[in-house]
Amino acid sequence: MRTRAVLGSIFASLGVLVIGWQAGNAAVMSATTATSTTTPTTTTSGGNSGTSSSGTSSGSNTTTSSGTTTAAPVAPTTGATDGTYAGSTVNTRFGPVQVQVTIAGGAITDVTALQLTNTDGRSVQISNYASPILAQEVLSSQSAQVSNVGGATYTSQAYLQSLQSALDQAGF
Amino acid sequence: MTTQAPAPTHQTTTRSRLPRINRRAQFARRARRADLLVTLLWASGAAAAALYLAYGGASQMTSVAGFITGLGILLGLVGTDFILVMLVLAARIPLLDRTIGHDRAVATHRRLGKPALYLILAHGVLLLIGYGMSTGFNPIAEIGPMLALPDMPLAFIGTGLLIAVVVTSLVAVRRKFSYEGWHLVHLLSYVAVAFALPHQLSVGGVLAEGTVQRVYWIALYVLAFGSILTFRFVEPIVASLRHRVTVAGVSQIAPGVTSIHLKGSKLRSLGTAGGQFFIWRFWTPRTWWHSHPISLSAVPTDTTARITVRDLGAGSRRISTVPVGTRVSIEGPYGLFTDAARTAPKMAIVAAGVGVTPVRALLEHATFAPGEATVLLRASSDDETYLWDEVRAIAAAKGARLYTMVGRRSPVGPSWMPEEDARRGVTLRSIFPELGDSDLYLCGPTTWLDLVEADARALGLPEHQIHAERFDW
Repeated sequence: MRTRAVLGSIFASLGVLVIGWQAGNAAVMSATTATSTTTPTTTTSGGNSGTSSSGTSSGSNTTTSSGTTTAAPVAPTTGATDGTYAGSTVNTRFGPVQVQVTIAGGAITDVTALQLTNTDGRSVQISNYASPILAQEVLSSQSAQVSNVGGATYTSQAYLQSLQSALDQAGF
Repeated sequence: MTTQAPAPTHQTTTRSRLPRINRRAQFARRARRADLLVTLLWASGAAAAALYLAYGGASQMTSVAGFITGLGILLGLVGTDFILVMLVLAARIPLLDRTIGHDRAVATHRRLGKPALYLILAHGVLLLIGYGMSTGFNPIAEIGPMLALPDMPLAFIGTGLLIAVVVTSLVAVRRKFSYEGWHLVHLLSYVAVAFALPHQLSVGGVLAEGTVQRVYWIALYVLAFGSILTFRFVEPIVASLRHRVTVAGVSQIAPGVTSIHLKGSKLRSLGTAGGQFFIWRFWTPRTWWHSHPISLSAVPTDTTARITVRDLGAGSRRISTVPVGTRVSIEGPYGLFTDAARTAPKMAIVAAGVGVTPVRALLEHATFAPGEATVLLRASSDDETYLWDEVRAIAAAKGARLYTMVGRRSPVGPSWMPEEDARRGVTLRSIFPELGDSDLYLCGPTTWLDLVEADARALGLPEHQIHAERFDW
């Protein structure tokens, strides 16, 4: 009987762990595919409405982020158009990240996070810590090509990806 | 005085055909249930770890900081699972009691205590290191940001309480406390476990809202606290109100030993087996705050019951003077020192001192054919032969062999018996020639009992055939 209990414990435990492992792999897979972006509608210039916001079917988060673009409609040139642009919403496994950028006089003058990872207390704390650092880096380098904040890899990547999409809209 | 025989002559007995109970099959069923419980215990620990894996935790253990953080979370989950298992084991659930017995449940509960605390402490330390590494703080400096997380202050308090609970339960420390003091601190474990829950649900993502993991985890909490609430609080209150037990009389049967006669209603419906105990609380101003686990010294009738106590401490001294009419609340019956625990066709019973009380009830209740049970009563002096006359009468009526031994423990031979018997060459085997075919029931003071038990083990008696009830505390 002793042996039966020991063997039972070992096999039951292994079984449970394997199930957990498999479920975990599945969760990570779906989280990776769900790291899709939702492109906000931009109404900068009349002809540009092709990118509708329905986006890729992005798992849980189906926020149709409405990009608020209060820009003076100037035809896209090599230089950036002044205005405020909302980047696409990037879904991470810790929650959605969306960044808004303000361009004035052809330069990035402000970066604001509209959404930050929010699934749990720790993620909120990490994002709140990383977001100002990233904003600072972006303002000083005037680009989305800045390095990740240590310990906030997911937030950094999503932040910069969203920022890049906003900059693309601005033609920056 | 009946005598001891190194080689007892078989008295021929007419085999009355009692309903044959297949003890081995009965035991096999119980053993299967016990094995299942052991399996469940370990599987629940694995399930706690699996929660982290199912969250995708393995994918985050790729960096050093991530690994330390992940391991910290995993250990916290497993440690909490063990604490919840401890609550279940301490809840005195009837099914558990029938399967493994109260003693083994408590022993397992105790054995899990320290490992569970270590897991929780490792959880805290590893997360401080892991979080600290990812933000560039040292672990001590990380305490500040960690406390800033919602629900974390509660978790820190919970950990502090848990440390207090486990430290006061260490054998060396526990001796310095009165039972009441220790018990009061021990009750804080409920608070500790409850305080830990919010941070588990909010800080990490493992138990995030809308996940199966969260549902499972909350179900575990409900199970643990639900069984405590049901079987430690609601059930005893209901039983006490229903059976309305009061003290009918107190009689001293020997210096320092008292029988308390109780009366109540519908006592038979409690389904008490001889050899079981209840936890009694006597509602007088001097005794209500202390409950006593005491075996019944006779099988209860529908309206009466009896317990026999010896003044082992201030508490039991006070209850031996409770006035007639005192209301008594009950919790039980508990214990596997019963006929139901048998695994073999015959019974070998040894009792010392006041340990005779459950043996008296067991013998009365047990089903056996004449000659199938042998009883050995042990006392260090003639003053301590409590209830021996009653045991003698029952043994005579049911055809059990009875031997007695009086005298201090022998300095030679088997030291659990008096010197005179040891010198005559008496052994456990000579008293119980059919020991291998018997269940051995032992009841008495711990130090004495350990000696008999060791003797039985040395004779090769398997663990499941030994049933011991120790009298200590």
